[in-house]
Amino acid sequence: MTEPVLKVENLSVDYEVGAGVFHAVSNVSFSLPPGRVVGIVGETGCGKSTLGQAIPRLLPEPPAHIRSGKIIFQGTDLVRVPRQKLPMVRGTSIGMIFQEPLNSLNPAFRVYDQIAESIQIRHWREIGDLPMFQPGPTPFDFSRRPVPTAGQVLSKPFLPGEQVQEAARHRLVTRDDYKREVLDYLRLVRINDPETILRLYPHELSGGMRQRIMIAMTLSQKPTLLIADEPTSALDVTIQAQVLTLMKELIEEVHASILFISHDLGVIAEMADDLGIMYAGALVEIGPIAEVFKAPRHPYTKALLRAIPAQYKTDGALPSIPGSVPNLSRLPSGCSFHPRCPLARPICRVNPPPGLPNLPHAAACHFSDEVATLP
Amino acid sequence: MTGPPLLQTVGVSKHFPLTRSIGETLSGRRARAIHAVDEVSISMEAGETLGLIGESGSGKTTLGWVVARIHDPTAGRILFEGQDIGKLEGEALRRWRHNVQVVFQDPVGSLDPRLKVWQIVSEPIRAQRRLPIREVRARVQAILPTVGLPTYCLDQYPHEFSGGGRQRISLARALSVDPKLVILDEPTSALDVAVQAQILNRLVSLQRERRIAFVVITHNVAAVRFVADRVAVMYLGQVLEHGPVKEVLERPIHPYTKALLAAVPVPDVSRRKVRYRIGGDIPTLIDPAPGCRFAPRCPFVKDICRKTDPPLVPASHTTNHLVACLRADEVASISPQELLSTAPTGQAPPAPAVTPVVSLS
Repeated sequence: MTEPVLKVENLSVDYEVGAGVFHAVSNVSFSLPPGRVVGIVGETGCGKSTLGQAIPRLLPEPPAHIRSGKIIFQGTDLVRVPRQKLPMVRGTSIGMIFQEPLNSLNPAFRVYDQIAESIQIRHWREIGDLPMFQPGPTPFDFSRRPVPTAGQVLSKPFLPGEQVQEAARHRLVTRDDYKREVLDYLRLVRINDPETILRLYPHELSGGMRQRIMIAMTLSQKPTLLIADEPTSALDVTIQAQVLTLMKELIEEVHASILFISHDLGVIAEMADDLGIMYAGALVEIGPIAEVFKAPRHPYTKALLRAIPAQYKTDGALPSIPGSVPNLSRLPSGCSFHPRCPLARPICRVNPPPGLPNLPHAAACHFSDEVATLP
Repeated sequence: MTGPPLLQTVGVSKHFPLTRSIGETLSGRRARAIHAVDEVSISMEAGETLGLIGESGSGKTTLGWVVARIHDPTAGRILFEGQDIGKLEGEALRRWRHNVQVVFQDPVGSLDPRLKVWQIVSEPIRAQRRLPIREVRARVQAILPTVGLPTYCLDQYPHEFSGGGRQRISLARALSVDPKLVILDEPTSALDVAVQAQILNRLVSLQRERRIAFVVITHNVAAVRFVADRVAVMYLGQVLEHGPVKEVLERPIHPYTKALLAAVPVPDVSRRKVRYRIGGDIPTLIDPAPGCRFAPRCPFVKDICRKTDPPLVPASHTTNHLVACLRADEVASISPQELLSTAPTGQAPPAPAVTPVVSLS
């Protein structure tokens, strides 16, 4: 049994705003083994993006507040990491790809400068000029460091660190070195004619191109965990197919573990190894994707799968889920899905469903064994 | 069917001229233009749904706007119940407008945040006739249940609604003047599957009750499959394939339609497959070169495709399945899956933007 790259335990995130406390993520637990892709699916407002952003602690706190739980990334609990240490984790060890690439790229800089900047930061980290995240139980030295003497500070450029770092220092020196590295990454994401693309600004690129640049930037940091939050939702289907194919090829090449967040079950079916379904902030079902699709154990999963249009008008109405997503600040009592659930019984109104059992394919439902018999 | 079709466009084009540079103006050169819609001829009957599918930039929205006379056509005729409405102006145009209504793409941006629901929904009514407020409100109150909104939301503001609710307000506004044709621009792209199913069901039942014709503009093939009777596939301002929904989606002929359908992710793990993908992005629409628009990306391209404009003609053995491909007979029998088996295997090379490729990915 290999150690998972990421292990989320009973994570709860609240938003405390004027209108009340919104339980955006409640009691979510899952683990992400190395080299796997875990997909998270849910409707708008179910907390899937909050979950994705809570993992590298990107949420603005306040209003967000991690109420409880652990985010164990390579043996370190990120919840307990002090705020000023977080930049060591973000971007480098945990990479993120967001939905709208135009908002994530700086419009004032050329493609070259943006990728080169990210390569430079990684380079500084490798040679020890910037602190780097060290996996392990105690990656951070919380003890007070000795204050360097004036002599040490002044002579720093002339006093290189360890031997290993010295070797790395000479790898990227001139502008040409950077250019070669940037071109490598552009070729990695299958960009034709990278020499021309280098000199362009983000607004001169198409949506698929921009998303590829984002992927190149993220990969240039050599992340061990990639969080992709709706990476293809803003793209056309043919372009989406290209980007998804690219990501699938890259999974093989770079051996990153991916947390893939999407509302599109088709995209998830294409990408993920494991599938988690979120509803009203809670993970209601998780399991290997083939099993979740074939034999869902939660009524919500079942309804969601059936709501995908796969028929013609003459075949009758589409099965839809009655009602709408509950307000996260006033969740229904008991199971939060009971007002919309065709299987709801008195117990569902009173008792919250048992937590996810520690099984490969688990669902948080009182009657998960009965779900298969549902119409 | 007797009488003229509800809507017929004959060679309709919409070009957006670009600003000329000083040099171009002085030399008297004609301004270059973006050919958003180029010689499109489609027709539809009353009470029918036409699905317009295509990638962004293919001109689907522009075509919808031209039909609703939000844009004026550059060339061609738009026949609505046999009457050419392309040339209507002023008072005549205003009186005609209640026939065709539009549900705009962005349900947030197309609703004025400072108006209440009844004001938004009644705007088309008030633009057509002067009525006392009480009567206007009564009419709105009658419309709201038909789109699945409770009547108490008359005095609410759009921000109090979810995405699905806003889409319903938009729909109510379009239906308020009893249109014969409603153009829905991406009606479900901002919605989740569960809400999408509710809206699509509502559209279908509305059509049964009131015999409204819909033009559904979308890139969501699954939604089109469910709502449409006929489908038109657009690419770079032209209709490449046009026919009954089952024909087009199950037996696509045009290579672009095949590629588009193959690219749609299927929510079925067992069919996780190597994809037939078309390389490159959509080329430019500024004064496009003659020949088939899809030729630069087409895996079946021949020299003749680059020189001759393919006409939109019925495919062999059919009367109502139109396709604009010079090699339609040859490519008709090839399914995207078969295409894969004939493609070279192994690692796909990076797809050059101009050379067409069929590659395993």
